[in-house]
Amino acid sequence: MKKTFMMSLLVSASLFAADYSGVIEKPNASKMIEKDLLAPAKTFTMPAGCITTDADAIARGSFIFHNLNGKKAKGKLPKGLAKKQMKAGKTYLPGDKIPAKQYGNCVACHNIEGARGAGNIGPDLTGYKAMFMATGVRDNQFVFQKIADPRIDNKDTHMTVNLTTKLFTPREICDITSYIVSEK
Amino acid sequence: MKAGIKIVLSVALLSSLSFGGEQFAMSDSDRAMYAEMLENNPADLMVANGEELLAEKCGGDAGLAAFLNVSEDELPVYLAGFPRYLPEFKQVVAIDQVLQGLMYKNGHKPFKLKSSDMFDMSAYAKSLANGEKSQIDIDANPQMKEAYVLGEKTFNQKRGGRGLSCMSCHSPDIIGSVLRTQPLPDLSNKGVAVAATWPAYRMTKSSLRTLQRRFQGCMKNALLKVIPIGSPEMVALEVYLTKRAEGTEIAIPGLKR
Ligand code: HEC
Ligand code: HEC
Repeated sequence: MKKTFMMSLLVSASLFAADYSGVIEKPNASKMIEKDLLAPAKTFTMPAGCITTDADAIARGSFIFHNLNGKKAKGKLPKGLAKKQMKAGKTYLPGDKIPAKQYGNCVACHNIEGARGAGNIGPDLTGYKAMFMATGVRDNQFVFQKIADPRIDNKDTHMTVNLTTKLFTPREICDITSYIVSEK
Repeated sequence: MKAGIKIVLSVALLSSLSFGGEQFAMSDSDRAMYAEMLENNPADLMVANGEELLAEKCGGDAGLAAFLNVSEDELPVYLAGFPRYLPEFKQVVAIDQVLQGLMYKNGHKPFKLKSSDMFDMSAYAKSLANGEKSQIDIDANPQMKEAYVLGEKTFNQKRGGRGLSCMSCHSPDIIGSVLRTQPLPDLSNKGVAVAATWPAYRMTKSSLRTLQRRFQGCMKNALLKVIPIGSPEMVALEVYLTKRAEGTEIAIPGLKR
């Protein structure tokens, strides 16, 4: 104790009590982080009519699965899906910057039919219907919840949280779920 | 000496990237370019620019040593231990912030932390420690202890539009797994050199980047709110990853995909 006190006295003496704390950049990030924190895990119930064989819904689910965001996405946009993210209740004037809509980029971690450059952090979802649905290992509600908030059945998951974060709407989670459980 | 380090580095990196197949982001031609760049890292030029800037704004190596209260002989080992708590800054600082203080002292307007001149100059300053072992004393004082704890917390904090943390992709149990064509690097195990190899040249960005700038890249990609360079949390993340790199040889500039 005494020794460290002596040391710090020596150090500050040799610097003539210089103080650079005011001249360097030291921006505050704690408020940004606090606002950005993930909410606790949440249970969701599929809305009525969630799972569908409607081709447009499945096409939207597939597009969300295979693409990162509206800026990077290539190919034909399915009906009912936007490339930009308009905020509800906000009026936009010509020339206003509208941010790109975020998609799921599920393919970053999961392989599935037709995937290109798929990752392998998450399980391979190829043949999901036959392997997991037909055998009764999984049901629609499980898949919906997994995508909406995967922490419910696995608190240590590495997977993305998609509905608790409000990145997607319940309808979009239904589209993605419909795609995964569909015959491909 | 410097060449020796580069060879060790190149073998480790090349072997981690030498998977074949279209699943991976590095094509054969990318790999050939990479091998070529290892011989001749484009960032050497930027580091040379950093050396000139340090001479001009900070009195060169001698000026830096004097500012840090060490002899020029002691400077490399001392630099190998950053970030550090320095009483005259009243906080834990990374090398770029030290250089801001020194520029100010010499009557110059400090470069912005995110400017390429600052990247170049701090890369040169850290390269003075090349060949030294990365070491960081997180028990040196309460401020360092606190920074380490904050770094670990920030690394594990899930946030952003996808609810991810650094740990989601850099957890030891998924090292080497593939995230959309990119093998996940090992940041967390003991003896991992990552923090000792930044600042580095990023081939995909054609520029020299610092470790904190690299963190921002991951935050942006994963939809975590990008926090500013020099914030206590950023410095703390650097402390946390530097602790992971303890004992590995510093080799600046690194070369990254
Ligand atoms: C960052 C990696 C990552 C991303 C991105 C990701 N997942 Fe996952 N996913 C995982 C991991 C890891 C698991 C296994 C652990 C678990 O179940 O929590 C998993 C499990 C699943 C399962 C459960 C499979 C089963 O039956 O056990 C489904 C379904 C799924 N993911 C769908 C998706 C969809 C849809 C998206 C995109 C909206 C997505 N994942 C994005 C990593 C990811
Ligand atoms: C969604 C996945 C993901 C998340 C979340 C993520 N990273 Fe990364 N990180 C990666 C990938 C993939 C790479 C390798 C990229 C490449 O090869 O260019 C990487 C590379 C890095 C590197 C460079 C490693 C090297 O070899 O030098 C650092 C440092 C790093 N990440 C730190 C972080 C930090 C800190 C956070 C949290 C703020 C974070 N990452 C969050 C996927 C992620």
